Amino acid sequence: MVLLDRRTMMSGMLGTAAASTLDLTGLRAQGSGTLRIAMTASDIPLPNGQTDQGAEGMRFVGYNVFDSLILWDLTKADAPGGLVPGLATAWRVDPSDPTRWIFTLRPGVTFHDGSAFDAAAVVWNFDKILKADSPQHDPRQAGQGRTRIPSVKSYRAIDPMTVEFVSAAPNALFPYEISWILMSSPAQWEKVGRNWDNFLRSPSGTGPWKVDRYTPRERLELTPNTAYWNPARRPKLDRVVLVPMPEPNARTAALLAGQVDWIEAPAPDALQQLRARGMQITSNVYPHNWTWHFSRVEGSPWNDIRVRKAANLAVDRAGMVELLGGMMLPARGLVPPQSPWFGKPSFEAKTDIPAALKLMAEAGYSPAKPLSVKAIISPSGSGQMQPLAMNELIQQNLQEIGIKVEFEVMDWNALVSSWRAGAKHASSRGAHSTNSSYFSQDPFTALIRHLDTTLVPPAGTNWGYYLDADMDARFAAIRAAFDPAAQLAAIQRAHEKIVDEALFLFVAHDVAPRALSPRVKGFVQAQNWYQDIVQVTLG
Amino acid sequence: MTSLSSLMPQDPAKTIAPIEKSPGYWAGVIRRFGKDKLAIAAGIVVLILLLIAVFAPLLAPMDPYAGRTIRRLRPVGTDGFPLGTDELGRDMLSRLIYGARYSLMMGVAPVIMAFGIGSLIGIIAGYVGGKTNTAIMRTIDVFYAFPSVLLAVALSGALGAGIQNALVSLTVVFIPPIARVAEAVTTQVRNRDYVEAARASGAKALTIIRVHVLGNVLGPIFVYATGLISVSMILASGLSFLGLGVRPPEPEWGLMLNTLRTAIYNQPLVAALPGMMIFITSISFNVLADGLRNAMDVKV
Amino acid sequence: MLIYLGKRLVYTIPIVIGVSIVCFALVHIAPGDPLVSVLPPDASEQLKQQMMKAYGFDRPYYEQFLLWCWRAIQGDLGTSIATGRAVASEVMRAVRNTLLLAVVATFIGFFFGLLFGFVAGYFRNSAIDKIASILSVIGVSVPHYWLGMVLVIIFSAQLNWLPPTGAGPGGSAEWRPDWAHFRHLILPAVTMSVIPMGIVARTIRALVADILSQDFVPALRAKGLSELGIFGHVVKNAAPTALAVMGLQLGYLLGGSILIETVFSWPGTGFLLNAAIFQRDLPLLQGTILVLALFFVLLNLIVDVVQTAIDPRIQRS
Repeated sequence: MVLLDRRTMMSGMLGTAAASTLDLTGLRAQGSGTLRIAMTASDIPLPNGQTDQGAEGMRFVGYNVFDSLILWDLTKADAPGGLVPGLATAWRVDPSDPTRWIFTLRPGVTFHDGSAFDAAAVVWNFDKILKADSPQHDPRQAGQGRTRIPSVKSYRAIDPMTVEFVSAAPNALFPYEISWILMSSPAQWEKVGRNWDNFLRSPSGTGPWKVDRYTPRERLELTPNTAYWNPARRPKLDRVVLVPMPEPNARTAALLAGQVDWIEAPAPDALQQLRARGMQITSNVYPHNWTWHFSRVEGSPWNDIRVRKAANLAVDRAGMVELLGGMMLPARGLVPPQSPWFGKPSFEAKTDIPAALKLMAEAGYSPAKPLSVKAIISPSGSGQMQPLAMNELIQQNLQEIGIKVEFEVMDWNALVSSWRAGAKHASSRGAHSTNSSYFSQDPFTALIRHLDTTLVPPAGTNWGYYLDADMDARFAAIRAAFDPAAQLAAIQRAHEKIVDEALFLFVAHDVAPRALSPRVKGFVQAQNWYQDIVQVTLG
Repeated sequence: MTSLSSLMPQDPAKTIAPIEKSPGYWAGVIRRFGKDKLAIAAGIVVLILLLIAVFAPLLAPMDPYAGRTIRRLRPVGTDGFPLGTDELGRDMLSRLIYGARYSLMMGVAPVIMAFGIGSLIGIIAGYVGGKTNTAIMRTIDVFYAFPSVLLAVALSGALGAGIQNALVSLTVVFIPPIARVAEAVTTQVRNRDYVEAARASGAKALTIIRVHVLGNVLGPIFVYATGLISVSMILASGLSFLGLGVRPPEPEWGLMLNTLRTAIYNQPLVAALPGMMIFITSISFNVLADGLRNAMDVKV
Repeated sequence: MLIYLGKRLVYTIPIVIGVSIVCFALVHIAPGDPLVSVLPPDASEQLKQQMMKAYGFDRPYYEQFLLWCWRAIQGDLGTSIATGRAVASEVMRAVRNTLLLAVVATFIGFFFGLLFGFVAGYFRNSAIDKIASILSVIGVSVPHYWLGMVLVIIFSAQLNWLPPTGAGPGGSAEWRPDWAHFRHLILPAVTMSVIPMGIVARTIRALVADILSQDFVPALRAKGLSELGIFGHVVKNAAPTALAVMGLQLGYLLGGSILIETVFSWPGTGFLLNAAIFQRDLPLLQGTILVLALFFVLLNLIVDVVQTAIDPRIQRS
C-alpha cells in the first residue's frame, strides 16, 4: 500500500506559532481541549441520525454522534480498515436461507438520553427510513438513507437482543448496506414531542460524542460521551466545535489566524504557505475516484471504445498531480492500482499521446477534424477536489487529440440530481458524460451501482445506461460469493472488464488533504471517507 | 405626482434636466472637456482598453487557452510570460488581453441594452403622459425598489449560471434607473413651449419626438448611462466570482479572480492582476462619466 | 405632514405588491418545472402531493400568487429544500446578523464620507480636495469582494491582528457587544463601508460646494458671522440630504452584502443567498429576496418621512 502521508512535524515552529495565535484571536476562554474544525460544507450537517451534507456529514456528525450496527475500522493509516462490530456484536447469514441475516445486538448500550438500545430501537430506526406510514417516518432521513439499503426487504425483532433482516436476493454485500444506517434514540424523539425538528435541538444517539449546542449554518458543539460502550473510543478532548466554511480561502485564513485548529480540503495552492507557517498537512489514499462517467445512450460519441481509450491515453495525470500540489493519486481504474480489487487488466490508462492520436485516427477524427462532446461539470462539491481547474486541464488534453469539449456547468446539487435522473433525462441536457466523484468503499458503491442493467434510472444510478449481460453476470458472481477469497476474485474480474473497456475516463483518486495546527496530536488519517477524532488531543 | 423613488436625494430623476443647446453648445462641451485632464486620461485608458478588446488576437502574444501545468503560477516577470502564468500555466498577459473582450462586454453590453430599452420606455411614458405614464412608471418603480445587487443576484440565481442569463439580469437591473431619467427629462421637454406649439400645429408625435425630444433628451440619458458602466463592471465580475457569469475556460476577469483566488498566497501579484484590471476599468469609466457630465453641463 | 404621511403610505402599497409579484415570479422564471424547483431531488410522491397542494401549481397564476401572499402574511415563506427548515426562521436570524454588519459599515462609511466630503467641499480644488475626491472615486470603483480578500491576507493570515471569518467566538447565537465580538466585525464592516464612503463623500462634497456658492453665504459673512457659524449653516442645510443618503446606503448594503458575506463567512442574508444559489434552493432564495426587498421599501419610506419632518421644503405634491 502506498501511503501518501505528508504529515510534517515542524517541531521548531510548534511553540511560537501556537503561542502567538492563541492570544491574538480573542477566543472565548475555552479548555485547551477544544478542537475547532472547519468543514467545506455550507451548513451544519443535521444531527438527526441519517445526516445530510454527504460524506462530510457522515464523517463529522453521523459516525460521531450516532452509531450503526456495523462500523468501519478507522484505526489504521497504512491499510484500509474493514467492517467491525458496532451496535451489533455479530452478524451471520442463515446457512439454510442465504437471504436471511441474523444480527446479535450489543448488550448494555444506552442512548445519550439514558434510554436503552435494543432490537425495538433498530426496527424503529429502519421504519423511520423505509416505512412511510410510521409516525417516526422522516422524509429528510429517508431521502438520505433509502438509496443506501436497496436490498433490505424486511426486518423484525426476534428477541430484545436479536434482529432478523431479509434481503431481496442473496447478497454477500448486505453488511455494507447495513453499515449506512445510523441509530437515533426513539425515547428522545418521544420526549421532544414526536417531532424531528425538535429532536435537532436536543439530539440523542449512542455515539462517542454528544451534541451540546447546535446553531444552524454556524456551529455544532460536541462533548464527550464518557459512558461510551467502547472504552477505547472514549474521546480525549473536552469539546469539538464544527464550523461550516465553504470558501477555501476563508478556511486557510482561519487556520493561519488560529481561529480553527483543523481545516478540511485546504486549497492545493495554499499548502506551501500552510507548511511554511508550521501547519501539519495530512493526507492518505481512500476509496474515492474522480472520473468522467460516460453516457452510453445512442448517439453518444463515447460508444466507440477507440475514443474512450484514446481519451484515457490523453489525460495528463502527471500534470494534474502538479496542479493539485501533489494531492492526488493518478487513476488507472475505479480503484487505485494498489487495491486488491484492481485485478490485472490488460489496458493501462497512462499518458501516451501518439497512441491516442492513432486510435482517434482509426475512429475517423483528428485535431484538424475534431469530435465534439458535451460534459457536465460542477464548480465545487464534496469530494469534487478542484473541479474547474481539473476539467479545464482535461479539456486542453483532449483538444490535442481531436476531442472538443463543451462544458455544461451545473452547481453540485443540480449535478447530483441529474446524475440520479440519468443521461436520458432532460436535466442531463444531452450531455455525454458527467463528473461526479464517487465513493467506492464497498463493491456495490465502487462498481455495481454504476453499471448494473437493473440499476438504470430511476431504479438506480447507472447514469450512462450501460447495458451488458457479461458485466451483469460478473456482478451477480460478486453478490453470490459469501466466501471472502471467492468474492475478491469476482470483484477483480468485474474491475478488469471496467478498465479493459475503458468504461470511464479514469482521472484521479483524491488523497483527502487536511491541514492541522501544530497543536493537534494523535490524529491517524484512515484510508476511509470517515475519520475518527476520539484519539485526538491538543498540545 | 409623488413618487417613492423621486424623493431619493441622489435620485437622478429628480435633478436631471434636458440640455439647452444654445449655438456653440458642442464647441463648449469640447472646450470644457479639453480642460479636464483627468477625464481625458480616463478617456484614453478606456479607448486603449477598447482597442485591446478589439485587437486582442493581434496583441496577445500567446494562445489564451493553451497551458501546461508544468509552468503553472509563474511570477510576474518570467521570461516569455511577462505577467506570469495562471493556475493552468496559461499566459496571464494573453488572458488579460482576451479578458478585456468578455469583461468589457459584460460591463458595457447590459448598459447599452438598458440604454436602448430604458430610453424607449421612458420617452414613451414621458411623451404620452397621463395614465399610460403612471402605469409604466409604477411598474418601473417596482424594479427600482430592489437594491441593484440584490436584483441581479435574484434574477441570475433563479435563471441559473451562464453568460446570457447574467447579461439579461444586468440589463433588467439597469432599465429602471435609465427609464426614470428618460421619463423625467422627456416630461420636462414635453411641457416646453416649442413642443406645445408643435403639437398644437398638428405635427406627428414621431416627428416631434425625433426633432424636439430626442436631441435634448438623449444627451443627459447618455451621460447618466456612462456612469452606470462602472457599476455594471463591478456587478458583472461579482456574478462571475459567485459562479453565476461566464463559464470556463473563457478568460473573464471576474472568473479569473475566482479561479486564481487560492493562489493569492503563492503568487499574490498574479492573483491580484484581474482585480486590478477590473479596478482600472471601473475607475476610468467613473472619471470619464464625471468629465462628460461636467462638460455637457448635465446635472445628475 | 399627516396628509403627506398618508399619501406616502398609500403610495407604498402598490410597490409592496409589485415587489411581491417579482419575488413570486422567481420560482416561475427558473428553468424547469416549478414543482421540481421547490422539492428535494429525491422527494417522495407524498411530499410532492403535499407541496402541490401547498403551492397550488395546478391553479391559475393569480390564485397561486394570492395563496403565496396569504401564507407569507402569516409568516410562512415556505420550506428550504436543502435543510427542510422553515425559510422564515432562517431569514430572520440572518437578517439580524446582516443588519448588525450593515449598520456598523454604514456608520464607518458615513463618518469617513462626511469627513472627506466636508473637507473637499470646503477647500474646493485644493490638494486636499483632490485627494479626498480620488479616495471617494476609488471607493465606488474598487471590486469590494476583492478588497476583502486582500484585507484578510494582510490583517488575518499575515499579521494575525483580526479574525478572518465568522460572527464571533461562539457564533452569532451568543453575540454580545464586547471586544471579542467587535473584532470579528472590523474586517467585513470596513470592506463594506468603502462604497458608502465614496458615495457619501461625493454627495456631501457637491452639496457643501453648492451651499457655499449660494448668495446667502457672502451675506452672512458680511454680517460678521464667524467661519464656525457659517459652518453651522452648511451643516444645517446639508443634514437632511446626508441623513437620507445614509438611510438609503444602509438599504443598499443590506441588499448587497452577498459578496462580502461570502468572503468573510458572515452568517447573514448574503451567506444564505449564496447557499441558496449553490444548492438551487429556490424557496430560500425567494424568501430571502422578499424580506430584503421589503426592508428596502420600508427604509425608503422611513427616510422620506424623516427627511420631510426635518425639512418640510422637500415635500412635494
